[in-house]
Order: sequence, then structure tokens, then C-alpha cells
Amino acid sequence: MSDQSSGLSKAQEIYSNRSRRARELKAEGRKLIGYPCVYVPVEMLTALDLIPYRACGDIREPVTEADRALPGSFCAVMRSCLDCALKGKNDFLDGMVAIHSSDPQEKTARVWESYTDHPYFHFIDMPVTVRPEAVEYFTSQLDDFRKTLEAFAGRELSADRLKQAIDYHNRQRGLVRQLYDLTKTSPPAISGTEILQVVKAVMGLPVAEGNDLLTEVIGEARDRTDRPEKKPARLLLWGSTLDDADVMQVFEAKANVVLDDSCGGVRAYRADVKLTGNPLVDLARYYLNEITCARTFRQASPGETSKEYTKDLQSRFGYLDDIIREWNINGAIMLLVRYCDPFAFEMPALKDYFESLGLPSTYIEYDYTTGALAPLRTRVEAFLETIA
Amino acid sequence: MYFAGIDVGSTMTKAVLTNEGGELLSAVKGPTGPEHRRLANEVMRGALEQAGLQIDDISYIVATGYGRVNVPFADRQVTELSCHARGVFSLFPGVKTAIDIGGQDVKCMKINGGRLIGFVMNDKCAAGTGRFLEATAATLGIRLEDMGDIASKATKRVQISNLCTIFAQQEVVALLSRGEPLENIVAGLHIALASRVAALAQRLVIEPDLALTGGVAMNTGMVRAMRESLGRDVLVPEEPLLTGALGAAIIANEAYREAAEDGTLPTGTRRLEEATFFAEEDL
Repeated sequence: MSDQSSGLSKAQEIYSNRSRRARELKAEGRKLIGYPCVYVPVEMLTALDLIPYRACGDIREPVTEADRALPGSFCAVMRSCLDCALKGKNDFLDGMVAIHSSDPQEKTARVWESYTDHPYFHFIDMPVTVRPEAVEYFTSQLDDFRKTLEAFAGRELSADRLKQAIDYHNRQRGLVRQLYDLTKTSPPAISGTEILQVVKAVMGLPVAEGNDLLTEVIGEARDRTDRPEKKPARLLLWGSTLDDADVMQVFEAKANVVLDDSCGGVRAYRADVKLTGNPLVDLARYYLNEITCARTFRQASPGETSKEYTKDLQSRFGYLDDIIREWNINGAIMLLVRYCDPFAFEMPALKDYFESLGLPSTYIEYDYTTGALAPLRTRVEAFLETIA
Repeated sequence: MYFAGIDVGSTMTKAVLTNEGGELLSAVKGPTGPEHRRLANEVMRGALEQAGLQIDDISYIVATGYGRVNVPFADRQVTELSCHARGVFSLFPGVKTAIDIGGQDVKCMKINGGRLIGFVMNDKCAAGTGRFLEATAATLGIRLEDMGDIASKATKRVQISNLCTIFAQQEVVALLSRGEPLENIVAGLHIALASRVAALAQRLVIEPDLALTGGVAMNTGMVRAMRESLGRDVLVPEEPLLTGALGAAIIANEAYREAAEDGTLPTGTRRLEEATFFAEEDL
């Protein structure tokens, strides 16, 4: 890890100063478009040579500016994200694309649009079910997005270029999955903290550059002799947003986080976009069906949910069963950023599901600030003591 | 052989010494200041003096509480949740649920045979904690320790609608200016806090026996209010502040035995004095 030219140290460097690389790219004449959520189809940006840049909050930055526009009892991630934007931390962005993944994100996006002066802004509406009508509606929304994007880029988004971009991003998804394959061993070949840093770095790079970085990290981690220390527990993290290495280290002080099912972890990479014909429809289908975030409602089959709770649970959380077995997980933490209602509503059902699998779990809510770290540590350690 | 538990809480630091048989030899409480380590040190020295022991006589020390990482002479750190569970169980062997209301945390714990098996804590803010009473007592100009007695004289209970500590202070000021008798306001504050804690505890399945610990349990008014809000009996230890440190001492005893079996006993001499010196950059 001390080797400065290694993929991991490169990723850590980009992670700790993401905007530096973004500004370099900007200086080279590239255009960067921000997006605050993994539901934005980044392929459409890549296809037009625009660099998708995941705009994040910062737990170290006390929220001040965003308080002018948003209430305190509001999604802590969005508040922080907007605060950073209003303080000019993302001033290298040429535009912003937000999506209705949750109500707070929509409100934040509208404030963002009014209070910043990026040349481009687009908001995508998104249904909250996975029914065929929803795919149809979402496709039309993506088509609207295509039109404003083409106008901004001054060129057409051809189906071929889009397919090519999908291919690049699918490759990225495969590489992130390979990264997580490295945690299946005990001890893991790569720590949860390192993965978080790599993934967050990649979310600010052009896709090809991100893929090169991932390839380098995977090769290096596979052969490394200085593996992370083996800890008594192998944890699954499930939750809304976890995008800070210091928060992850609170978990990893006394456990190995072998899978992070949050939107800073594997969520955006678990499946590939399947090309079947019209790439816009394929994208709509992928983002609605394949990203498993609490904001989307999944019925076992329409009209049946209230009758068969276990079937409903299986339909919503069945993918976690495979993960738990494949990664040999012995504890799960449901981690919520404060005031994240969609995940809070999902939690009781997921708790039941974990219980049905015999997996110990706990629910922890944390504030998106560094002040949250000490209370978080007590809760995590207490949970680990219950499963020791 | 002797064992020690030290609980560095947000408001108070507590130290307990026991012998091999788990018998309590001494217990000392002192305020926690900004310098955890120095005060932990003094409280521990007090406990040793009371028991007529030296630091080298102690075979194993467990530190707990939110300042547990700041105790340099401890052999092991264990969270206050596990320590409370163990401590309460040693006092009430039938305990299945415990609620500890401290200075900045409320912990509701499920206990099975002395082991912590589940818990919930206050996540949003300090509204359901001892800080709520501390802050409102200050606004009312009364001593925290007198609150329970004052509440017992109430003729009716005033509704306190704000659970936010700061807004509750404002509400108290408004009630005072309306001429509401002090004892009725204080009784209302107790019920407000108790119902908040009860709502949190009910996120767990509460099973009897139920015990109430922590500094707030020393307030008889709160014990009454908790019984009422939960609609069930509540056991309260004689020294509700000490259960964390007591549990830590019991865990120290067990940890020592395990370490002796594994051959991983702590080596070297313990230096209680070490912590009294702070380098400038440490402060």
C-alpha cells in the first residue's frame, strides 16, 4: 500500500480529493455533468462524451448555506450535497441531472436549479413501481432527457453510441462485482473501506479511466500479501447512503464489511443492462427493475402482497439471501442516514426477513456529520457484542 | 484476586471493585469532565483507597461508557450496553428488559441470562435523556435532585407538548408566566420524558422483569412516571448509577478467566499515574 503508483493508493488519492481530477479533466476541455443518485442513467452522458460526476455531500462540512433553502429535518445527505454545491465545491460542473428517487431529492434539485448557474440542468421523473406502465412512462422521461442533453451537447445521441456506452458501463459493473468477489475469502483480500474509496473515486471519473483503475486495483488486491486483518464478524451493510471512509472504518474497527448494499457500494453494480433492442427501453427497464433501493416498491405480484407476506419479503429482499450465503455473512446492519423515510419504512420488513433467515441484524440511524461517529461506534460495537 | 469496572459516562464516571466471588468491595462516583482520562484515574484511585487496595492488586480492568477508549489502564473496552445488561442481571436475575436513562443516551436492552441480545437507543436527539431534566431544572431554578419530590406535590400535571429540550425550556417559561404552579410543571416534565422513553422501549418487545437504571432512575418522580407510562412495574437498583461499572467488573472477572485459559493474560505493570500527565498537544 505504500507504493504510490499502485492502483489502491491512486484510488485513495482520488477519493480524498475527487474534485482535483475533475478540475484537471475540465482543464483538458472535457465537460462534466453532476448527478446525486445512482438512478441517473450515466450511460446517456457517457454516450455524448460528457463525464458523469457523482455529486456527494461531505460529513466534515457543517451545513450552513443549505439551511437557507431546506428545513433541518430533511434528508441529511441531500442537505449536505446542496450545501457543498452552494459553497461552490462543484463549480467545475457544466450541469446537473437529478431524478425523482425520493421527494427530498426532487426538492433539493429544484433549489439547486435556482441557486446555481450551471449551463445545463435536467430533472427526470421516475415512477416508484416496476409495472410495465412504469417502464413505458420512465422510457418517455428518458427520451425527454435525451432531447435536452442533445441540445446541450450539440449532437445527436445515436442508438449505436448509446449501446457502446452501455457496454462500457456494463464492464464497469462487472469489475465492481469482481472487486466484491475479493471479499469472499477470509480474511478478505480488500477491505470494505478500500472498496468504498475505489467506488467513490470511480464515480467521478470517465468510464474508461474508471475501468482501468478498477482493473489495476483488482490485480493488485488479488496478489497482495498485506491483506486486511481478519475480524470476528463478516458484516453485510444495507442502507441508504454510505459514502465516507471514516464512517466505514467505524464498522471495520471490529468487523470485516464484506458487502455494502448501499448507494456508495454495490447497489449500482449488481446487475448489467441487458440489451434487447431499443437501448432507451433497456435502460428504463434496468434502472427500474435491477437497482434495489427502498424508493422502488416491489410487489410479489400485483394485488397479492397483503395476503402473502413471506412471498412479498422474498420478492423484495430475496437477492440478499444469495449474498448472505455467498459471502458467508454472520451479521447485518441496516444503516440509515437520518430522516431517510423510504429506508426507514423498509426496515421492519427487512428485519423480519433477516430473522426468517436466522441472521442477526440491527438498525442504526446516523447523522451525516463527523459528530455521529462516536454514537455510531457504541451501537456497532454493542451489536457485535451481541453476536460474538 | 480483584477486578475493576470503570464506566466513563457523559456526565458521571463510576468505578467498582469486586473480589473473585463477585462481592462488591468499593464503588466511587465522580463527575466526568472534559479530561476523561484524568478523572477516570481519580475515580479509580478513590475506589482503590476505599477498598484498601493498590492498582497492582487488580487482575483485570474493563472500561465502558462513552469515554471507554480514554481509560489507559484498562485491559479491555466493552460497550455500556453489554455492561449494563450484565450488571442489572447480577442484581435482578429475572431481568429480561432494562432501560438505562443517562445524561445523553437512553438505552433499552433485551437481556437473556445476563447477555445483551438486542437494543434500541435514542437516535434523533437528546430529548429522551437526563439532559432534558437537567436543562429544564436549570430554567426553573431548582436542583435536579429535588425534582422528584417537587413533582410528588403536584395537584395536576401540565401537558408539556415539546419533546425538544430547547423548546420545552421555552414552554416551561411560558407556563411559569401563565402562573402555573411549579410542582404541576415539574410533574408534567416527568411524564413527557417518561412517555418518550416508553415509546422508544416499545420498539422492543418488553418482557418482565423490567429494570430501570442510570442516573435518572435516582429520581423517584421519574420512576413513578415510568411505571405509569409503561403500565407495568419497574425494578430499580439501590445504586442505579453503578450498574454499568458493576457489569464491567463482572465481565472483567470472566475475561480474566478466559485469558488465563488461553494464556493471553495482560502483562506488564499498570500505571495509574500515567494518565495524570497530559502533553500539551493532547489537550
